[in-house]
Amino acid sequence: MTEKIKISVDNKVFEIQKGQLLIEACEENGIDIPRFCWHKRMDPVGMCRMCLVEVETPRGKALITSCTEKVTEDMIVDTESETVKKAQEGVLEFLLINHPLDCPICDRAGECPLQDQTMEHGPGESRFIEEKRHFEKPIPISDLILLDRERCVLCARCTRFSEEISGDPLIEFTQRGNQTQILTFPDEPFNSYFSGNTVEICPVGALTSTSYRFKARPWDLKSNQSTCNQCSLGCSVNVNVSQDKVLRYLGIDNESVNQGWLCDKGRYGFEYIHSENRILKPHSKIENEFVETSWNTSLGQVAYRIKKSLEFKEDSVAFIGGALGTNEDNYALAHLFKKVIKTDNIYLSDNFFLSHNLLLGDYERATIDDLDSSETIVLWGQDIKETLPILYLRVKKAVRNGAKLVLIGPKTSSWSSLATLNITYKPGNEIEVVNKMKAKRSKEYKKLVELIEGRSVTYLIGKSTVGHSENLIEKFITYVREISKAKVLPLATKANILGAIHMGLFNHENNLLDFIDKARERKIKTLIISGTDFISNSIYSKELKDALTYVEFVVSLDMFSNDTSQRADLILPVTTLNEKDGTFTNIESRVSRQNQSIPVPGQAKSDWEIVNDLLEILSCESIGNSEFQINTELTNNIQGYSGVTFTELDKPSNKKGVIVSQKLIHQQEEEIEEEIEEEIEEEIEEDTDDYSLIFYEKLYGDKVMQRNSPSISFLGSSRHIQISPRDAKSLDITDSDNIKLTVEDESMMLRAIIDQGIKSGTIAIPINRRGVNHFGRYAHGKIEKISEGEIFNVN
Amino acid sequence: MREKRLLTKHMYENPLDSHTIKSYINNGGYEALRLVLKESSPEKVLDEVKDSNIRGRGGAGFPTGTKWGFLAKEEPRYLVINADESEPGTFKDRILLERDPHQIIEGMIITSYASNISKAFIYIRGEYAKSARRVQAAVQETYQEGFLGENILGTGFSLEIVVHLGAGAYICGEETALLNSLEGKRGEPRLKPPFFPAAMGLYNKPTLVNNVETISAIPWILQNSGKAYSKLGVEGSAGTRIFSLSGHVNKPGNYEIEMGCTFREFMEDLGGGVLKGKKVKAFIPGGASAPWFTGGQLDVKMTIDDVAAAGSMLGSGAVIIMDEDTSMLRAAKSIVSFFAHESCGQCTPCREGTTWMELILERIESGRGRASDIELLLDISDNISPGLEWPPKMTTICPLGPSAVSPIVSLMEHFREEVELLIPRKISL
Repeated sequence: MTEKIKISVDNKVFEIQKGQLLIEACEENGIDIPRFCWHKRMDPVGMCRMCLVEVETPRGKALITSCTEKVTEDMIVDTESETVKKAQEGVLEFLLINHPLDCPICDRAGECPLQDQTMEHGPGESRFIEEKRHFEKPIPISDLILLDRERCVLCARCTRFSEEISGDPLIEFTQRGNQTQILTFPDEPFNSYFSGNTVEICPVGALTSTSYRFKARPWDLKSNQSTCNQCSLGCSVNVNVSQDKVLRYLGIDNESVNQGWLCDKGRYGFEYIHSENRILKPHSKIENEFVETSWNTSLGQVAYRIKKSLEFKEDSVAFIGGALGTNEDNYALAHLFKKVIKTDNIYLSDNFFLSHNLLLGDYERATIDDLDSSETIVLWGQDIKETLPILYLRVKKAVRNGAKLVLIGPKTSSWSSLATLNITYKPGNEIEVVNKMKAKRSKEYKKLVELIEGRSVTYLIGKSTVGHSENLIEKFITYVREISKAKVLPLATKANILGAIHMGLFNHENNLLDFIDKARERKIKTLIISGTDFISNSIYSKELKDALTYVEFVVSLDMFSNDTSQRADLILPVTTLNEKDGTFTNIESRVSRQNQSIPVPGQAKSDWEIVNDLLEILSCESIGNSEFQINTELTNNIQGYSGVTFTELDKPSNKKGVIVSQKLIHQQEEEIEEEIEEEIEEEIEEDTDDYSLIFYEKLYGDKVMQRNSPSISFLGSSRHIQISPRDAKSLDITDSDNIKLTVEDESMMLRAIIDQGIKSGTIAIPINRRGVNHFGRYAHGKIEKISEGEIFNVN
Repeated sequence: MREKRLLTKHMYENPLDSHTIKSYINNGGYEALRLVLKESSPEKVLDEVKDSNIRGRGGAGFPTGTKWGFLAKEEPRYLVINADESEPGTFKDRILLERDPHQIIEGMIITSYASNISKAFIYIRGEYAKSARRVQAAVQETYQEGFLGENILGTGFSLEIVVHLGAGAYICGEETALLNSLEGKRGEPRLKPPFFPAAMGLYNKPTLVNNVETISAIPWILQNSGKAYSKLGVEGSAGTRIFSLSGHVNKPGNYEIEMGCTFREFMEDLGGGVLKGKKVKAFIPGGASAPWFTGGQLDVKMTIDDVAAAGSMLGSGAVIIMDEDTSMLRAAKSIVSFFAHESCGQCTPCREGTTWMELILERIESGRGRASDIELLLDISDNISPGLEWPPKMTTICPLGPSAVSPIVSLMEHFREEVELLIPRKISL
């Protein structure tokens, strides 16, 4: 592709890609040049001056920073000359004179670039006898991050990350000269979803996280590659463990996925693993009290009920699942329910679930890397900064490199300024987007067509609000495939959802409402729940709460006592990520490894183990006695998965994961298609007092796992609505006022936030909060101001 | 010798109202502009400037015509006038700004016409409040008179001038830091390469950055021809220059002279000699960044090339005289402190090194010096400016760090014994 040129470094000749930075070229050829400020994912600034080398110029040898110099034909470079050594040692001495040298109490000690390079290139002793520079230390700059300005070497990695990569420039330089320091703006904490990355890239211990601070020494840590499962992106992480405790996650530079970065939810959201609230023994409910019981008794009870259902051909066993498990877990569950129990009573709890047509349909799918080669990127779905944060970083990067971005949705997002075009519409009027686009009805739709017609476009498509019809999404895709070179990435945002579908677990698009009906008709006698707390999360939680009272026996496979497991008759303790081996399938069908890093606590078992035990009790053939065996079985049987055995995935060349392909097996029936068609034709009833509701998920919510992760436990506790400035004015609401939201016959008190991105006549509500979730079923609601002093019962 | 007033002629002849457009026009102002717009072409203007052999008056002394010729063809292009005059000892631009702002504006309009520029900026140092007021008022007048704005004098040429006030940072006199500051960013020098203003300047567009004095000479050159200008002064240092004379002299001030006389002539004829008839111990020939000359070097000629050959620079034209009673350590410390205070803090050697040197000098001054301190100071200097050569090499992004090195090197080269006397013998490292 790109031209190769020859350069000479330390009298050795290398072939280098033209235009590459000298420091990078040297690194690739095994020549180490010390550096602090340079980071390959960010623009060079040449500030620390550590990477000085000598280059021949027409006017003789010159010292230049190798991080800012691009290689040129026949360049002659000296990285080892006396002048270079002297300059580098000089820079190191300068960096050290005001450094507190408090390594014995610094988190970074042992993995500190400043320490390492001082050992390698630095002077033996200090000639500085004056008083060092002092700052108050450390100071908290957010709930997660502490700043020690005395340790800081002012490399601008954190500030550049915040500006270039994450787009939340909340941390900056202030003062000048010898008093230059990193700081946040007054009254504006470093509240970024990505703040943890700055700790990771800090070349000293200036930025530390509350989560890991003083927890371990790097040399005591064992490191294990794995895949994060907080969302469906599947970022590559290094799990750092000491004394059988997971202490931190570090991002791995997986070129195709996260490129080294992690969101803070992914980075700190593992802490629940070691929560003292975890359930580690089976519990059985006797007279409304949970008492400890044994696995034998518990599984006996479950097996008995399965057997009975099979014997009487009742089809009375049902399953409601999330998508937290590994592919191996889901394969085992699918085997149990499909092959042994032979039931279709399998339900997925996901408020933003996309149809199989969308997830597995026969059209060209986009990978995350396709963003980089797209002329235009169109996002119509959930706000990915909230639901798939690292995908947002990748989109931002692509836009920075010249791709055009179109954002379509019922509200404008906080990062809409990145977009060339923002299209908003009234929620419920999604059809308008497709129609207006076809008709090029207005200036903005003309512009939209202009931006995609004939171009290579990546479409990131999902539900922009809970009520966004899947049929319309399909129509949209059909149309854009006609007019542009389209690649589509359907935004299934929940953990390993795609894997669970591939495993055949959720191969029927059963709506939870069907379950509610069947339960109320007493057709479901036994319900097994895994990986979901639907009473806290589902938009149908009220109805589900009622439906559960009709089910004779509810079994919950869970780690915590939560609103759902509380209602079970039997709680079986399960393992979590890092306590089992397995594979994970991400949003683009990339399969990567999840590794066991710590021993299984207490009596917890993985889903696959529970299935395997049940099979034994039921005298059925085992599907494997280890994750490895199940993985082998799975790769033999699941379409597209033959190449993703543990052995294959553990090869260094496959560390970034392997993309699998699975096409739709069960074709949608025509009738359903028509039915939806009619639905769309229906006029939306307009009630002038009513506001159209937009339900979306914020990154931080109040799921039980987050509540049990101390670092981030409170970050999603705010219950609020977002309202347009115009509506706020007409209702006499100012920012942070309390308002009463009334939907159907139920009211709730929430805080109002005035948001420029909201259209008049609509309000947006973060839905991943307990007590708010069930409003998601409805499209309209009323709000009124609560006058001061008025007492209002929170439901 | 006497002054040769070209740029300061108008202000001295009309001391009461030289800053007003009325006075300026009455004395032949904007005639050069009319002439250029009516009878000349951009190419001809450039040729005249090249013919004049004028070199930049900001400090580096780069040939102005060549600089204009380097401007990349991409559009839009900008003109930025560097009026961030902050080099200690330099106060020549101030009188031009305060007392003859229209000369600058006329120069800007002609320059913009020559380089096809339709937006120009003048960046004035924050402390120059009066200058800014005068220039702003003058720009206003010029718009009213029709020399600025759309379709100037019916020629189709348009120009807008924006006056911008700095916020008190010496470093913003460095042209790329100035551009950052103008864009609303921190005043930190940019990396060169790739950010050479002629190719990637203001808002990453081709930008011409000229000094106030340079631009003030443009109207005269266009009215009297480049050839006429080149005949003034000496070869290599054509034209007149305004020197700021300060320190231990009887008559400090700004003097516009033809280049070519010696420092001695200049100091004695125009500066009235050293205060109280003392001897010159040392002097700084071109601003605080320049290496010092000793009293023995007073016969060096005041041209760019002669001063360079003698190991220093004519720089911004600030001549500072130090008499025989001056403590050279304190002189050096004063300059180093200035640079430490003004370091932008962006790159390590300057941020850390300048303050470190300041602390050591202060320690020596207070009698707590160590025998090893002289070598230490020189080695720190070497780590900022390898080889301690002139013109300086540097480990830094911009020449501010090496500027703090030159007084140290001068001090140790010429007055080392004086420093050693200040270091008590009983203390050794």
